[in-house]
Amino acid sequence: MPPASPKPPIPDAFRPSASIYSGSPAAVPVALGLPVMAWQAVFFLAPLVFLVVITFWQVRSFRLEPAFVLDNWTRILWSTPFHRALGHTLQVAATTTVLALLLALPLAYTIAFRLSARVRDLAVSLLVVPVFSSYMLRIYAWQVVLGADGIANAVLGAIGIPKLQLLGGAFSLQVGLLTLTLPVAVLILVFAMVGVDRTLIEAAENLGCRRAQVIARVLIPSIRPAIVLAGTTTFLLAFGDYIGPLFMTGSKPPTLSILLVDTVKSGSQWPRASVVGVSMLVILVLVFALGRLAGSVRIRRRSP
Amino acid sequence: MMTPRLARGLSRTLQYGLLCLFFAFVAMPMAVIVVFSFDANRFPSIPWGGFSLVWHEAAWADPMIREAFVNSIWVGLGTAVLSTAIGFAAAYLDFRHRFFGKRLFVFAVAIPPAVPTTILGMAMLAFVSRIGLSGRLETIVACHVAVASSFAMALIRLRLGEFGRDLEPAAWNLGASPWAGLRFVVLPFCRPALIAAFFLSAAVSFDEYMIAWFVGGVHETLPVRILNQLQGQVNPKINAIGAGVLAISLALVFLARRFTNLRPEPMHGPEPRGDSA
Repeated sequence: MPPASPKPPIPDAFRPSASIYSGSPAAVPVALGLPVMAWQAVFFLAPLVFLVVITFWQVRSFRLEPAFVLDNWTRILWSTPFHRALGHTLQVAATTTVLALLLALPLAYTIAFRLSARVRDLAVSLLVVPVFSSYMLRIYAWQVVLGADGIANAVLGAIGIPKLQLLGGAFSLQVGLLTLTLPVAVLILVFAMVGVDRTLIEAAENLGCRRAQVIARVLIPSIRPAIVLAGTTTFLLAFGDYIGPLFMTGSKPPTLSILLVDTVKSGSQWPRASVVGVSMLVILVLVFALGRLAGSVRIRRRSP
Repeated sequence: MMTPRLARGLSRTLQYGLLCLFFAFVAMPMAVIVVFSFDANRFPSIPWGGFSLVWHEAAWADPMIREAFVNSIWVGLGTAVLSTAIGFAAAYLDFRHRFFGKRLFVFAVAIPPAVPTTILGMAMLAFVSRIGLSGRLETIVACHVAVASSFAMALIRLRLGEFGRDLEPAAWNLGASPWAGLRFVVLPFCRPALIAAFFLSAAVSFDEYMIAWFVGGVHETLPVRILNQLQGQVNPKINAIGAGVLAISLALVFLARRFTNLRPEPMHGPEPRGDSA
């Protein structure tokens, strides 16, 4: 083991030979770090870089060939289907974000402040399960529930309400996207709300704040970063989702994800599909940057 | 006029009501799949056609479904083993060492789940087919690991946060080599998190369809098989496959939860009392 820094005043016996951070030889971090770095470089970073690269390639007689043409970009960015899909996807994702936040805030509040610690843990468990289990199947189940002869119409019919067309519109799409996003948003907000310093809330209550004032003046400001995180995560999930729009609206109108998959599957137009993919990534990066800005402004002002 | 007491009661009833509706909303799709998988009717509708195992048997007898199931098991196992190993290495590196570019390193490991799998799947397909690896089960594993290792790292890093920073240096001072310290001090402490990471990465892989769909070629995992069946004609076997998939996912996630202490913790002061105020 290499000796630590040679400072004479400390007798050898009392000098720690290993510091908390880097007591082990440099070979250890290198050996541990290399596999992770190599894996992410080959199977995550390289594909994304390659995605950007092939937006400039061209397809000749159904074969992808290295080139440097801007044709793919101009064709996609100036095309009407792309504009329609872009507008539709942005609008849908924004709607989901607003709905998810409006619903998740009171839900998380009830879970964090009304339930006892034990019941709250159970609720959190029940929410972790759907986040990691098949979204595709749940979308299929909503088709069964909301279909023309589905369960919802059967129940409505039993109480005398005529058949509604529930599937295939904005309503069913939001049902699908909220299935995906709402549990995540609620979880993020529950963790943030439970983590809020109780003494702050008590102080506000002792100073005579009503509950509504406590929520508006203490709770919401102190979990603002989490609200922004819940919002951006919801936007991200809804914006990139393929299954929800595919099955809940039958791809009418198509979203960017559907446009991307169709372009890939319909032949060898990978460069154009990549343009769609890269554009989506750019939009998501912009949304996250805006979110970061929105989440950090106030905090910086508070701590000079 | 509403008295404050009545208003409070009303507000609380609304809150609990909303919460119940929310959990019904979360549970309903899963319940629908399970209930109709035991329905004798060909198409899921009300009224229920009576209890039957016919679709479960039909699904199990379908060779394509069985093959997809076996593929999913291998992909899930491979992903779980590799993600846990890689996730541990990344978490330990972040916990123990200071090095140039550390923040970038942590960011790079954490970011893959934030990229929509539609885009990631397309990018991975383009890349692996260029290097001649597309259409293999091993490739699905490799691509799943890139996403699942983020979750593994997060879980293990959380556990390491509770680990005494000076325990390992103490072991070194007592003459343990860094590898021995890792093997006999750090790994045993992390065991529950490692087990949880294993099950969670398996669950992530078991449900992932876009990447597997893009890079798998003719090799279908179970969710890919379901996706392909959903896009074809209505198939009464779907509910039965779905019930099986849900059962496995739920088991994996519950096992993962069992080994983590992932619960929201209050920062300071007493817990709020549900019924006060």
